[in-house]
Amino acid sequence: MSGNYSKEKLTLVNELIYEIKVKEAMSKKVIFFKENVTFREIQLKLKEKKISGVPIVDNKKNILGIISINDIITSFDKHYVDKKITNYMTRDVITIPQNISVVSAIRKLEKFGVGRLPVTESSNSKKIVGIITLSDILNRLLVVVQSIAEKVKDREAKNGKISEEMIKKITKKPLHFEVKGDDFDNAGIVASITKKYFQNLGISKDIVRRIAIVCYEAEMNICLHSLGGYITIEVDENNDAVICAYDSGPGISDVELALTPGFTTASEKIRALGFGAGMGLPNIKRYADKSKIKSSLRTGTELKAIINLGVKK
Amino acid sequence: MKVSKIIDKCQLKKIVFPANYEISAGYCGDLMSDVMAHAKPDSIWITIQAHKNSIAVALIKDINAIIFTNNVSISQEVIEKAEEEKIDLFQTSKDSFTISGEIYCMMEAETGKD
Repeated sequence: MSGNYSKEKLTLVNELIYEIKVKEAMSKKVIFFKENVTFREIQLKLKEKKISGVPIVDNKKNILGIISINDIITSFDKHYVDKKITNYMTRDVITIPQNISVVSAIRKLEKFGVGRLPVTESSNSKKIVGIITLSDILNRLLVVVQSIAEKVKDREAKNGKISEEMIKKITKKPLHFEVKGDDFDNAGIVASITKKYFQNLGISKDIVRRIAIVCYEAEMNICLHSLGGYITIEVDENNDAVICAYDSGPGISDVELALTPGFTTASEKIRALGFGAGMGLPNIKRYADKSKIKSSLRTGTELKAIINLGVKK
Repeated sequence: MKVSKIIDKCQLKKIVFPANYEISAGYCGDLMSDVMAHAKPDSIWITIQAHKNSIAVALIKDINAIIFTNNVSISQEVIEKAEEEKIDLFQTSKDSFTISGEIYCMMEAETGKD
C-alpha cells in the first residue's frame, strides 16, 4: 500500500492485515482460460468483465501462466493479437497460497509491481482457488473494521441499559457533598466525583462535561465566597440532573449584578490563583439547561441548576 | 497530534508523562472559569497557574496535557495529583504567547497535511 498515510494512526489496520488470511479476502469466482485461446479472445473477455488479467490453467486448474492487459497491448503492438497465447504468455507466474496473511499478498503485489495474484490451494500446489487484488484486500478490511465498529456500538448500547438501573438508584438517593469555605485544596473534588459518577451511568460525554462544569463552579462559589455549605445532585422523574448548592452565608446583595460576566467580589489573593474572574455564575447559566439563584443576606444562597441527561424515560 | 511531537518540537521539560495522548485542540489562559467556559476536550492547556485546582479543571474539561510556562514552580502535591489523574504535565521557560504560537503553527501544519 503506497501513499503517505500515517502509520501511527492506522495501527488497527496494520494489525488486521496480519490477521486476515488471503482466502478470506480473495475473489473465489475466477475467470480463467485454457492455453488454446488467442489474445483477442482474452481481450474481449477482459473488456466484458472489466478486469485487468486472467490466469491460464490446465484441465486440473493448475496454473500455467497469466495474461494481463499489458500482454494484450504488446500483442497488438507486435502484431500477434490473433495468435494463440501458448508461445507468448508469462509462465513464470507469481502466486500466493490461500492460508497466508494478506500482508504477504500486499508485499508481493508491491515487490513485483503486479495488480493481481492468483491464489493457490497451498504453498506446494499449483491449483488455483481464487484471485486477489488490492481492492479485494481493502474491501475485506472495510468489512472487518465495520464489524468491529458494530461490536463497539453494541457494547455502548448495553452500557446504556445498565445505566437505567443506576439512574433509578440516584433518583432514590441523591449524592450529597459538604463543601468547606476557603478550602482550596479540596476544591474541585465534588465536580471530579460527580463527573466519574455520571460517566459510569453511560451518559454522553458532552452532557457529563456540562454537569461537571456546573458542579465545579457551584463548588468554587461556596469555597471562595461563603462560610461553607453543601451540594446535592439527583436525577428527577424527567431524567434531569438537578444540582443544588446551598451555603450558610453571607449571601449576595445583588443577584443580577453577580450574574453579570466579569463582575467579581473576589480578593486579590483569590484572583492571583486564577479564580474570581466573575465567570462562575455566568458559566453555570451557560452550561445548565435551567438555573435559578436565590439569595438572602440573612440565610445565605441557594442555587439550583438543571441539565437534561438526554436519556429516554 | 501526539503529545510527544509537541514535547520534541517545543523542547518541553517532562514533569508527569503517563500517556502519549492525541491532542486535537489547545487553550491558553490563567483564569479557571475562562478555561472552564472555553477549553475544548482533548486539549493541551497553556497556563502559569500551577496549583492543584488546575488539575481539577483539566480533569473536568478532558484536558489531557498542561504546559506550565515561565518556569513557574510546581509543587509535589500538583505532581502527585496529576499522576493520579493521568494528566501530562510539562514545564518550559518560554512564555505562554511563545508556546501557544509554536503549537498553533504545528497544528495548522498538521491539518494542512491531512
